[in-house]
Amino acid sequence: MKKTIPLLIVILGGLIWVAWAFSPHYILQEVFYNQFYLPWAYASSPFAMLLGVLSLTMMHSNKIKTRGPKWQYSYFFFGSFIITCLAGFIGGIQKGSLFMWMFENVQMPMSATMFSLLAFYMASAAYKAFRARSPEATVLLVAAIVVMLAQVPLGVQISKHLPSISQWILDVPNLASKRGIMLGVGLGSVATSLKILLGIERSYLGGGD
Amino acid sequence: MNIFERMQKLDRRWIYIVVALAIIIPLMIPYDSDNVTTPPTENLYQMIDSFAGREDRAILMSFYHDAATMPELFPMEVAILRHCFERNVKVFTLTWFPAGAPIIDYAINSVKEEFPDIQSGVDYCNFGYKPQAFAMVLGMGDNIANTMNTDAEGRKLENLPIMKGINNYSEMNLAIEFSGSSAGGMWITYARPKYGLNVAVGVTAVMAADMYPYLQSGQLIGMLSGLKGAAEYEKLVDIFAAYRDPKIDYSIKVDEDGNQILPGRPFGREILEDDSSKKLSLITTQTKAKFSMDEFAAFSAKYPENMALLNSLRSLEDDMVIIDVTQITPEQRSQMGETMYRELDRLTRNTLYKFKVARIGMNAQSVAHIMIIVFIVLGNIGYFIQKARQAKN
Amino acid sequence: MSFELFSNLVGAFFTLCIFSFLYKDNPFYQAAEQMLVGISLGYGLVYTYNRVFVPYVWQTIVIKHQFVLIIPAIMGILYLFRFSRKLGWLSRYPIAFSMMGVGIGVPMGIHASILVQMRQAMVPIESVNLFLIFIGTIAVLLYFFFSKAHSGAYGKFVNVGKWYMMIGFGASFGLTVMARISLLIGRIQFLVNDVFGILK
Repeated sequence: MKKTIPLLIVILGGLIWVAWAFSPHYILQEVFYNQFYLPWAYASSPFAMLLGVLSLTMMHSNKIKTRGPKWQYSYFFFGSFIITCLAGFIGGIQKGSLFMWMFENVQMPMSATMFSLLAFYMASAAYKAFRARSPEATVLLVAAIVVMLAQVPLGVQISKHLPSISQWILDVPNLASKRGIMLGVGLGSVATSLKILLGIERSYLGGGD
Repeated sequence: MNIFERMQKLDRRWIYIVVALAIIIPLMIPYDSDNVTTPPTENLYQMIDSFAGREDRAILMSFYHDAATMPELFPMEVAILRHCFERNVKVFTLTWFPAGAPIIDYAINSVKEEFPDIQSGVDYCNFGYKPQAFAMVLGMGDNIANTMNTDAEGRKLENLPIMKGINNYSEMNLAIEFSGSSAGGMWITYARPKYGLNVAVGVTAVMAADMYPYLQSGQLIGMLSGLKGAAEYEKLVDIFAAYRDPKIDYSIKVDEDGNQILPGRPFGREILEDDSSKKLSLITTQTKAKFSMDEFAAFSAKYPENMALLNSLRSLEDDMVIIDVTQITPEQRSQMGETMYRELDRLTRNTLYKFKVARIGMNAQSVAHIMIIVFIVLGNIGYFIQKARQAKN
Repeated sequence: MSFELFSNLVGAFFTLCIFSFLYKDNPFYQAAEQMLVGISLGYGLVYTYNRVFVPYVWQTIVIKHQFVLIIPAIMGILYLFRFSRKLGWLSRYPIAFSMMGVGIGVPMGIHASILVQMRQAMVPIESVNLFLIFIGTIAVLLYFFFSKAHSGAYGKFVNVGKWYMMIGFGASFGLTVMARISLLIGRIQFLVNDVFGILK
């Protein structure tokens, strides 16, 4: 019973959505979509944020309580979270407020830097791990080197045909392999969506009772 | 341990230092280089350019990313905004991530500084952060003002001058999504089949190779891939949209036949392949405005009251009249007026730093790519020699 | 020192805290990492409150008196019961409401990712490139069809798909290298121009 009603909601609602995609009827387009689904989706969405807050808060307070590894740094998490929330709720979110200043000058640089570390790891991997162990790996490396050289301004000075060779590699063999993979992935995801729609796939409901 | 074994066991922190130097040094020494444009970028440029000066067409830019992918996507966004502000194309911006909202503000404020006549609500409109992307994408196909309701500043859309002539996707006919992952997916799957919207994407280079099937099938009309795409677009904007002919008076909006006079010039392949266009998109700082004799005569005819001042500043070199803007003193600048000074500054064909960030980055990219290729080759040489020695033993 | 320079220096400090991880894991990096998570979460919470909760829940219920929307608001609160062992089954209702949207994914997904792509793969073969694309698409699709063994002439044809994929992945790898390095270039441009450029 606890799983049946949500399952029925998904199946019936999903079938109405399928009908919505094909039928311009007033009941589907106006009553179901504009008057029921949209306001309800907007009203129920902000609470999902609280899930993330609760989950992280529980994890870090557990760490502090049980003195897990690197538990002292959890205080930095709580401190920065509470200060940001207070700055946002009390000071407002307009440009120039403390809240936006913290986001633009603390969070944005750090978030960008986290990703830029990947460049160093890539260079290290290029030196230590990329080996032409088999003919296929050699073809992969040669294609990569041609594309890499053609992307930069230096490429056209090495050979004026390099940009068009690289464009051919991207337009023909790359396109064919990506299209084949995309068709496979598309078929797989449509099959999974259909299984959810028909109630065969129920893992999203979670385990237990 | 011989040299090859030592090479294989090299501490990776030495590699990190080489990477850092390979990028810092080219960034500190700018030099001119040429980025060859590719068809996906040119198609996007031409589509946006076809909306130039039209009241019943607009583009929508969706900033579907956060600060992490800004180095690749921000120069693209700035280049497209500059193109739109130069050629009078209406722009709408929005984001589906809360973290994307400050990025839209940075982009618009950074470009707006150079265009004092551009106004919010008239030439561009920022919707800001909007939740429930799926509902918004479908709702805009029926009516944009009803779906979006207000812009980022809280003004009702129906009252804004920019909405005159824009109802839904039939008028706001191009959506460009900038994202580091799954760019354009929602627009291609839902908005394009139902409403016929044209979709283009600006993606990080990681995703670019995966987008080629969509380009060939026509589901995407154009694509900017990574920093190279941004550099190509900046070059196209410099050569075409930012170009000013010294003979034309751009303060007149309509000529005697009733045709609109738009700044810049339309895309033309012969102009792009001509050698003279290379001088329009230089990375190094340019300070000299160059005119041929007829161009100088037409330019000075526009400002007859400053003829004496112009004659005092000019010098001749190979049949070309040269005016060096660094020689203009503050008194001379206030004498000639801001309009004339700005036009002279424009005719030096100098690009501001913020509009050539991607091209400077591509210079550093050249050095970095050579470095990675050297690493791969060295690593493989060491590996194969090691293997041969072990086989011999 | 202007306010803008001070803000850039704060950004540079945190950038270097994260870069310090390349040398060795250290307390600056650990603290900066936790602050990043804390500020991101706080930002998301405040922004969601201001831009989603207030206009679409508070104003519609309290000011516009659309009391029927109390039901989806309560349904949204049921998300939080995910952490309770006894009442965890209540959280299935809001999940089921959002999963309803899978119904639209089936026809639209079939159209955009399968039918349109198939149609483009079946165009008249007028040039060598189109022929190569046609052969490549079929070979790659058949490579992943595991119900038939890859042996004999069939195996040789399917092997062509493997070569196509190697070239495709090589192109992706080349572009990925460019992407990763671009991210680093962005950070170094910030440090060199916005911070040290002003100090000079």
